[in-house]
Amino acid sequence: VNSSKLISRPLLVAIEVIVPVALVAFWWMASANSSNAYFPPLENIVGRFHALWIFEHFSTDILPSVGNLLLGFVMAAVMGVVFGTIFALITPLRDLFYPLVNFYRAIPIVAVIPLFVALLGFGNEVRLLTIVLAAMPPTLIATLDGLRAIDPQVKEVSLVYRFTQAERLTRIYLPAAAPQIFSGLQVSLQFSFIVMIASEMLGASQGIGAMTLLAQQTFSSADMWAGVLLLGIIGFLANLALGAVRNRVLAWYDGAKQSALSY
Amino acid sequence: MLGLAGVVVALLAWHLVAMTSSGAAIISPLQTWTALMDAFATPAFWKSVGMTLVVAGQGFGLAIAVGVPTGILIGWSRLLGHATRVPLEFLKPIPPIVIMPSVILILGPTQDMAVFLIFYGCVMPIIYQTATGVKEVDPVAVETGRSYGMGRAEILYRIVFPSASAFIGTALRIAMPTALIVAVVAGLLGGGPGLGRDIFLAMSAGQYDYLYALVVVLGFLGLAVQFVEHRIEGRMLHWHTSYRTGV
Repeated sequence: VNSSKLISRPLLVAIEVIVPVALVAFWWMASANSSNAYFPPLENIVGRFHALWIFEHFSTDILPSVGNLLLGFVMAAVMGVVFGTIFALITPLRDLFYPLVNFYRAIPIVAVIPLFVALLGFGNEVRLLTIVLAAMPPTLIATLDGLRAIDPQVKEVSLVYRFTQAERLTRIYLPAAAPQIFSGLQVSLQFSFIVMIASEMLGASQGIGAMTLLAQQTFSSADMWAGVLLLGIIGFLANLALGAVRNRVLAWYDGAKQSALSY
Repeated sequence: MLGLAGVVVALLAWHLVAMTSSGAAIISPLQTWTALMDAFATPAFWKSVGMTLVVAGQGFGLAIAVGVPTGILIGWSRLLGHATRVPLEFLKPIPPIVIMPSVILILGPTQDMAVFLIFYGCVMPIIYQTATGVKEVDPVAVETGRSYGMGRAEILYRIVFPSASAFIGTALRIAMPTALIVAVVAGLLGGGPGLGRDIFLAMSAGQYDYLYALVVVLGFLGLAVQFVEHRIEGRMLHWHTSYRTGV
C-alpha cells in the first residue's frame, strides 16, 4: 500500500544511502565553527573518539564493559531458557514461582541496581550479577510462553513417533518455541546493555558508562559525545550480531513462513 | 493458590536470610514494611510518586502524539520509508540511557530532561510498530475504499489507521513499561525529579530500609502499569481477533 508507486526502485535505494550521508555531512558542516559548549564541532568529537577509544582506553574501559555485556547476556540467556523450560514442563513449580517472577519483572530494571550495590558493593562481579538478574526474566517468560503455545497436535504426533523426552524437548519443543525465545533474547540484550551502562554510571570508576558520565560532569563535551557515540555503536552492533544469529538459527522458520504466504 | 504459597515462602526465606546475616544493608521484610508505612505517611513520598507518573505520562503522551502520525507517514509513503530507514534502524537499538549524558548536559537535571528521555525511549518503538502496521494493511481494502470514492485522507483515517491499530496497540504496550523504566533511570542516574532520585538519595544516605521500600513501591507501580495497559488495549481492540472472547 503506498501512494508513490511511480518512484523507481534504484532511486529509492539511492535515497536510502544519501539521507544518512547527508545528515552526517550536515552535522559536520553545521557544527564546524561551533563555539557552543554543548555542541562542539563533529571534527573535535571524532578526534576525541580516536584519542580516547583507539586504543588508549581500549583494554582499561572498553574491554571490561563489553566483556560484562557479553558474559552477562549469555548467562542470562542460558539461565532464562533453562528456567523457562523447567517452569513449562513442571506445572506446580510454575504456579509456585510465576507471581514472584511477575512481580520481579514489574520492577523497573535499573531500580534494583542500588539494592545490589548496597548489599554487595561496587565490584565488577556485582555489575555482572546485576546484568544477569535483570536480563533473565524476558527470556524466561518468552521461553515459558513459547513452549506453552505449542500446538497440542505437535505434541501428540511427537508422542506417536516415540521420541524420548530429551529428543522431544531438543528437537521439537525448543525449535518450535525458538521464534518467541528470540524475541525474548532481543529484550534481554537490550536490558543487559542498559544495566551495563547504568551500573557503570552508578559509582564505578571504570567502563565506558563511567567515563562518559564523568565527561558530562566535568563539561568535557567532546569527550562526552565521543562516549555517547561509542555506546551507540556498541548497542547497534550487539543488536546486529544477535539479529544475524537469529536469522541463521531461524532460517527454516522464515522460509516456511515465506512459502506459506505465497500460497 | 500455589502462587500465594510461593510468595509466602519467598517472604519467609527473605526473613530468615535477614535474621541470620548481619550488615547495614540487610533489611528484613518487616523493616521494609515499617519503612513503607512511614513513607505512606509523608507527603514528600506521594509527591515523588505523583512526579514519577506525571513525567512518565508527559513523555509517553508526547511520544504517541509524534510517533503515531510519523509512523503512519513512514509506512504509507515509500519515499519517506526509504529516506528514514537507515537513521531509524541505527537509533532503534540505542536506549535512552546512551544519550542521557548529552541530554543532562543540555537540559540539566530537570523534569524536561526526564520527559525528553522518556519521549525518546517511547517514540522509537511506536514509530517502528505503526509503520510496520501500515505496511501490512490489506491492499484490497485500500483499493475497495478507493473504488467507493474515498479520498486519501478518508482512506488513511477509516481504513489504514484501524487496520494498523493492532500494531499500534502493541507499540503502546511496549512503550508503557518503557516510560516507567526511563522515568526511574532519569531520576536515579540523571537527577531528575521522582522516585528514581529518591532511590539514589536513599542509597547515598544509607537509608537502606527506605531503599527497599522504594523498590517494592516501584514493583507495584510496574504491576499497575501492566494492568492499565491490558485494560486499555482490551478496550481499544475489543473487535480484533486476538482480543475477542467467545467466538
